Amino acid sequence: MKFEDLPVDATRAGAVLLVLAVAFLFSPLFVRPPAATLVLFEVGVLFLLYALVLVGLNLQFGHTGLVNFGPVAFFAVGGYVAAIVTANDPYGAVGLGLPWPVGLAAGVVVAVVLGALIGASTLRLRDDFLAIVTLAVAEIVHGLIVTVRDVTGGSNGLQNVPRPIAATTGGGGAGELFATVLVFGALAVLFYGLFHRLSASPYGRVLRAIRADEQVTETLGKRVFRYKFVVFVYGAAVAGLAGALLVFYNGAAAPGFFTINVTVIVWIGMLIGGAGNDRGVLGGLAIIMGFQLATRFLNEQLPVITPDQFASVRLMLIGLLLMVIIKYRPEGIWGDADELGVES
Amino acid sequence: MTLLAVEGLRRSFGSLVAVDSVSFEVERGEVVGMIGPNGAGKTTTFNCVSGVLPSDAGTVTFEGADVTEAPPYDLARRGLVRTFQQTRELETLTVTDNMLLPTPDHPGERAWHAVGRTAASEQREQEARERAMDLLGTFDLRGMVEEYAASLSGGQRKLLELARALMLDPSLLLLDEPFAGVNPTLTAEIVEHIEALNADGLTLLIIEHELETLTDLVDRLIVLADGRVLATGTPEAIMENEEVIDAYLGG
Repeated sequence: MKFEDLPVDATRAGAVLLVLAVAFLFSPLFVRPPAATLVLFEVGVLFLLYALVLVGLNLQFGHTGLVNFGPVAFFAVGGYVAAIVTANDPYGAVGLGLPWPVGLAAGVVVAVVLGALIGASTLRLRDDFLAIVTLAVAEIVHGLIVTVRDVTGGSNGLQNVPRPIAATTGGGGAGELFATVLVFGALAVLFYGLFHRLSASPYGRVLRAIRADEQVTETLGKRVFRYKFVVFVYGAAVAGLAGALLVFYNGAAAPGFFTINVTVIVWIGMLIGGAGNDRGVLGGLAIIMGFQLATRFLNEQLPVITPDQFASVRLMLIGLLLMVIIKYRPEGIWGDADELGVES
Repeated sequence: MTLLAVEGLRRSFGSLVAVDSVSFEVERGEVVGMIGPNGAGKTTTFNCVSGVLPSDAGTVTFEGADVTEAPPYDLARRGLVRTFQQTRELETLTVTDNMLLPTPDHPGERAWHAVGRTAASEQREQEARERAMDLLGTFDLRGMVEEYAASLSGGQRKLLELARALMLDPSLLLLDEPFAGVNPTLTAEIVEHIEALNADGLTLLIIEHELETLTDLVDRLIVLADGRVLATGTPEAIMENEEVIDAYLGG
């Protein structure tokens, strides 16, 4: 039985989970996971945020064929705007000290505006322009974050960003991690469900047609540009949301959270899992992040190799894995070769 | 009554003038052939008329409205639908999805209806599916509905492209070399389909460079050469036209 056939609708499940998660936050209930599992929860939080970025990217690339090489730009903009709007006295940066919901909304809105600007200027051009422009924008955003120190705090980042979940659970430790996983997990399920519904509908059929042949789709009566634009903005919005959630989780924003590694990880996860398969891409992300976690443990057992050397070996292994996938299974583990038009 | 009027159409690529002050009309209910040697400007004319290429000068009027600047999706919605010289199936979509894609005014193609799976969307999808299955039956493609279009033969692709265009309920169908690379049996079949569609009131403009295929099928021929209209008239008149014989048939 396939996941899609289960009598559970991810959109509803996500909405219910979100309500439960928020109810849990404000209840006197308290969960303390064993200390040994904390690292799993930490990686889990990051996985759920990257999953949000990835469901947007998969809608853009997997379903519509839009090559966005800069999802981290929207992730970073969402995060930094949220941080700047909400931080109290962030040490040599701008902090407006507004309530966190305002920061969350502002982060999403600015990510959407950036997405709309890039989309409006680039999506009418040939496909490869989008790839180049998004890659460049991601570098520009990162450059601005590091250099406009008076606003962003430069390489130190912004401190004293509110931590709404920590504040509700009474601060710190395992309970907070657990609650965070619950809330972010609910949001990830919700957006997975929404985007899955969108792609498994006549709307998604238009997206797949655009991926196959834009011109034919246009001559069959579809406003191709509008679909590409809207899908691009949706992806930007969830990436912005994920960025804002990250800074509210960390209580800070720093350039290190928003490096090109984010783009690399979500792209590799998508390609390994199978672009266009909403569930498969998340499986791919789990594989790549699980691999990183497993090798971290391994490094602790192998003291002869320095962490720096180990990081390089890990990158080589990931590169090798990607090459094997692309050569022998170009549709990814759960992807559909017919849908993607590749021969495996 | 004039369905399509093209007036002074011009399009150049660099210094090459592909289409030069081309004017012609298509009356409602007609089957018109457009012939000419390779490079005569037939496909460029189609591309300009269907909005795929912008024209440098001239006007295109469809059902009385100036559509010179109209984008392809708008023309398709107005009922001016085209096919391509090289069949262009959406290969990574199934035959059924190829057929359902053009469905006009589908509520399910708006995000809110798609996510909410509204009754309006489901109903439109159901109607479209019934229409698609009827058409696939007519075009002998019922056995292929779940196949990806990439797995169809060349002939089946031609038929699918024709069937798919009909999902838009066009009033004018532009066919770009529907018989190119098609065996004689299938050519006869496509001719039958075209005749049946025309009997139902569809107007067609067909590009072809083999004159023989068209003589029995069309009411009128437009002959293009070097980007200009050389002659128009009934197939009989065209075959006796000295200029045409010199420029095209004689060669």
